[in-house]
Amino acid sequence: MQSQHLRDGRILLAPLTIFLLAMLGLPLVVDLIYSVSRVEFRTILSPEFVGLANYASALSSENYWQAAWFSLRFGLVCAVAQLLLGLFLAIFLAPLIDRRPWLLAFLMLPMMVAPALVGLMYRLILHEFVGVVPWFMFTYFGDSPSFLGPDNAFRTLVVVEVLQWTPFALLILYSAYAAIPKDVREAASIDGAGPWQRLWRIDLPLMTPVLGATFFIRFIDSFRVFDNVYTLTGAGAGGATTTMSIWVYEAFFKSGDIGRAVAASMLLLVAAWAVLAIVHRLSERRA
Amino acid sequence: MNFLRWLVFAIAALAMNFPVLSTLVTSFKSEAEIASNPSLWIHAPTLANYLDVFRISDRFDILHYLWNSFASSILGAGLSLLLAFPAAYGLVRFGTGRKWLLPLVANLRAIPLIVFAIPLYLVYARVGLLDTRLGLALILCIVNLPLVLVLLVAALRDLPAELDEAARVDGASTFTLLWRIILPLAAPALATTMVLGFVYAWNEFLFALILTTRDAVTTTVGASFFFAASGGGVRWGIAAAVMVLSVLPPMALGLLLYRRIGQSLAAGAVKG
Repeated sequence: MQSQHLRDGRILLAPLTIFLLAMLGLPLVVDLIYSVSRVEFRTILSPEFVGLANYASALSSENYWQAAWFSLRFGLVCAVAQLLLGLFLAIFLAPLIDRRPWLLAFLMLPMMVAPALVGLMYRLILHEFVGVVPWFMFTYFGDSPSFLGPDNAFRTLVVVEVLQWTPFALLILYSAYAAIPKDVREAASIDGAGPWQRLWRIDLPLMTPVLGATFFIRFIDSFRVFDNVYTLTGAGAGGATTTMSIWVYEAFFKSGDIGRAVAASMLLLVAAWAVLAIVHRLSERRA
Repeated sequence: MNFLRWLVFAIAALAMNFPVLSTLVTSFKSEAEIASNPSLWIHAPTLANYLDVFRISDRFDILHYLWNSFASSILGAGLSLLLAFPAAYGLVRFGTGRKWLLPLVANLRAIPLIVFAIPLYLVYARVGLLDTRLGLALILCIVNLPLVLVLLVAALRDLPAELDEAARVDGASTFTLLWRIILPLAAPALATTMVLGFVYAWNEFLFALILTTRDAVTTTVGASFFFAASGGGVRWGIAAAVMVLSVLPPMALGLLLYRRIGQSLAAGAVKG
């Protein structure tokens, strides 16, 4: 019986495993080989070993570090903003949503829209002649900043990202908040705890694991951002809005520098793995 | 206090849905009005943009983009379910691969997808999968797998093991059991997961941008063509109408199934 289970389990997992090996394992091997080779589109099947030259070339390029810094800052700022805004909305609106769950539908709607399309929509909304936001600024304040210029592009992109993905934090935090048993809060009230005390001493501590998970997910997603930044500013604003993902994309598809682009993606993979390892360690310590 | 809550709700809902609302308004304005009146008020509503979208289909074929999105998303989401459902059952009941496969796939969510984009492009160019709906669907399946597997594992874990045991006593094999007993019981979870996978696949951009050029272009990439229009600049009205058409399917699904989608997203995030 036991060996039968073992066999059946393997058969059940085989299709998925084979698919992952083909679609992720193979690309990873290609990544690894090309990252230490000199290779061009013409010589794609005969890569020539060059050691770590590609890594050195990526790491020594100034705009690589600029992109790394942009992504890191963007990920952190967006994750913090989404977490705080989502937490506030989840707790403040909870009494409304408890009674009328359909309100959530309107707050979740932004997540259903493709980020790439959101980027394009803001191209229209922020356009200096036909956009509604610059029009509003001109009409009521007499002047409108250049939202996508080098000085403001970062802030604009943060607002775009936060407005679209705060709903994700809101949804998860609301679920966690609603799952706290009523009698816990009631017991605290009877013991004389006010609303703020209940929030700090009961609700937030109980929600800490979920808050951590939400922050992590939002950080990762904002860090690896491509779609909305690419469609809204491209590598525009004087290259000031190049994220890590866009850097790799441009190195390959614009410059045709295969080795350097692949080396940069390997570094990105290592960075992602390092973040995962840290998060894993943290959650184990807590458990 | 309640009034304040409603006010905050209204502001939040408007601000977060502002891009779609504003684009919707623009799509009902004539080209002349878009140039003269950027406000949210429409003086003379018109459907001209929606008709024009189809009139220029010899250059930008929106129906073709929508069909590509639809076909590759159904295929991609369906395939991820097909692969993940038996695997989830094996994970839950036999514990096979619980140590390596589940963490591997769940953590995939945290890896920037661009890492796999270049080698996949090179491999696809070799095997002739570039610019095909099948090629794109295979990637969309990968993109969906982390969430799909986590959700199905969670759903199957909630099914009572006594059912399996009863069927086993009657002599059913694992595969009969999976097909006859587990599949019907898990159908609601599978349906929600399918919808979520479809929405994610429909909204994907990076791989569609890299891997498709003409035949298999999806609506997220196709919509950007309308912004890069050659000659006299962007025709904003048509571009707005295209975007409205492109966001309609996932938004309709989101509105109809918000409760189940919300539960799944929350569960997937916390367990993943």
